[in-house]
Amino acid sequence: MSVEQWHRVQQFLFHEARLLDERRLQEWLELYAEDAEYWVPYTWNQQSPKDHVSLFYETKRLLGMRVDRLERELSPLDTPMARTNHYLSNVSVDDDRARAYLLFVEYRRGEQRWFAARCTWRLRPHADSFRIAAKRVDLLNADQDAGHLRFALPF
Amino acid sequence: MRMREEYGSKTYAELVGRGRVHRRFYTDPAVFEEERARIFRRVWLWLGHESQLERPGDFFTTRLAGERVIVARHTDGVIHAFHNRCTHRGAEVCPASAGNARNFVCPYHAWTYRTDGALASVPLEQGYGEDFKRRMDTLRLEPVARIASYRGFIFGSHAAQGDDLPTYLGPEVRAAFDNLVDRAPDGEIELAGGRTVQRYRGNWKLQLENSIDLLHPRILHRSAIDAADRVDHGGQPPSIEWDIVKANGLTLREWDGMQIAAMQGGHCWMAGFLTKAIDENPLQKRYRELMVERYGEQRASEILAFNRHNTIVYPNLFVNSRVAQIRVLQPVSVDCTEQHGYIFRLKGAPEEMFEASVRMVNTNNSPSSIVTSDDHEIFERIQESLGSGRYEWVDLSRGLESEEGAQGTNELPMRNQHRAWAQYMGA
Repeated sequence: MSVEQWHRVQQFLFHEARLLDERRLQEWLELYAEDAEYWVPYTWNQQSPKDHVSLFYETKRLLGMRVDRLERELSPLDTPMARTNHYLSNVSVDDDRARAYLLFVEYRRGEQRWFAARCTWRLRPHADSFRIAAKRVDLLNADQDAGHLRFALPF
Repeated sequence: MRMREEYGSKTYAELVGRGRVHRRFYTDPAVFEEERARIFRRVWLWLGHESQLERPGDFFTTRLAGERVIVARHTDGVIHAFHNRCTHRGAEVCPASAGNARNFVCPYHAWTYRTDGALASVPLEQGYGEDFKRRMDTLRLEPVARIASYRGFIFGSHAAQGDDLPTYLGPEVRAAFDNLVDRAPDGEIELAGGRTVQRYRGNWKLQLENSIDLLHPRILHRSAIDAADRVDHGGQPPSIEWDIVKANGLTLREWDGMQIAAMQGGHCWMAGFLTKAIDENPLQKRYRELMVERYGEQRASEILAFNRHNTIVYPNLFVNSRVAQIRVLQPVSVDCTEQHGYIFRLKGAPEEMFEASVRMVNTNNSPSSIVTSDDHEIFERIQESLGSGRYEWVDLSRGLESEEGAQGTNELPMRNQHRAWAQYMGA
């Protein structure tokens, strides 16, 4: 793995984060391959999204439905819109797999909350950039007993 | 009583008026404490399912009216429920959410209990005095007053007296459990796939009302419905997790024509509303053939024709027979509630049916849901604003004059819930 390749992947991940934080959600969606899976497991070390519930488990079509709703009509959940920052660190690249730590900070209706997570991407080369074939976000507190207040935006 | 001092002549039961309820019904911490005592500690509450306890020693922990309990199958096969609290110094004896155990050993001083709750041993026993052997029987883990199962669904009650479980549920609620089990080609179901926990900062009764409120889906869930409408399925039949979003988009007239029922004890149900397209799904067709094979055409048709969405078991359980799902409310405080979603595997049905149920819970009852998140957002806004202004009452009068033969958007089932509430709180 060359420093240059590591740099390219990292810049791509930063770009994905920026699109989310700037609410360029259609552009964000375009980063995903047609057969992509977006997965936020419910339990730590969850093996499969098929036979166990997840916090998010979405195909590109479902992600598209989510983005369409956020972009075209304001749901009560998204009024006012949440502001978010995605902080990525500890980025490592191993073949087609990228890993990073995520600190996600969200502000909405007078309240700021944050989540810490470990993220994994599977990337495919696309033109001079990448497409996301799979993204997995493991929240440190995914399965906390108290559950979670609703999530307005993807991680 | 404090209530009298604060609200003039109003008793708890008087917070429920004709076609209206007092805002304190949702906001007063004293009311919440009384609900715990007079409703939740009296009724039968759902604990779990027998499939979680297949072998002797299998156990799970949960909450019963806010109290932490262990439910376990003992070596003799009998299911027991007891408080998760060491009778010695009060520590939690079982930290796990589920598992298999020979004994429960308190981590503090190793008081050791069997899976029927009996105290089996303590260290340096002679130090507790001559008569300790005799006292041991009174030092068993405190049993839950009553425990009973209906078709494999385990319920517990903190009250030693009261209706037995089948009587408490009544025939219409029992039919929902019956149908959930009957929908399995092998006649057996299994709780599987974990659970979701959605938390919201609002009163538990807001969700109870919402789940039988047929006027709100088309309006509140509009943004999700429209997004579902615009999805291009590429010529494929739609999947159930999409359909459940889309189906909310019935017209107000259609919602108003839907069958509803309000039963004794505050229970109620509403008819199903999935679109017809879902029956065209090849998976559904394959499943139907399996059902006909096992039950014969007539009985299979009967089972599959049972078309209900929510059957609501007062005060906190939602049964969705058709999609093999149940949800349970765990009130945390007057303004905070957890909603737990569980799914069942229908034994003998294609595994893809279970996977579809998993996906449906993800889209509908996970914290990321684009549907229920809007409900919870509204509950929080209600909770925040109810205290404002001089108007003390919340209106629930829709259809008050036409309760006989009520259907659709008639608010009868909500009034029926609150009448049950007033009975419990007044008695």
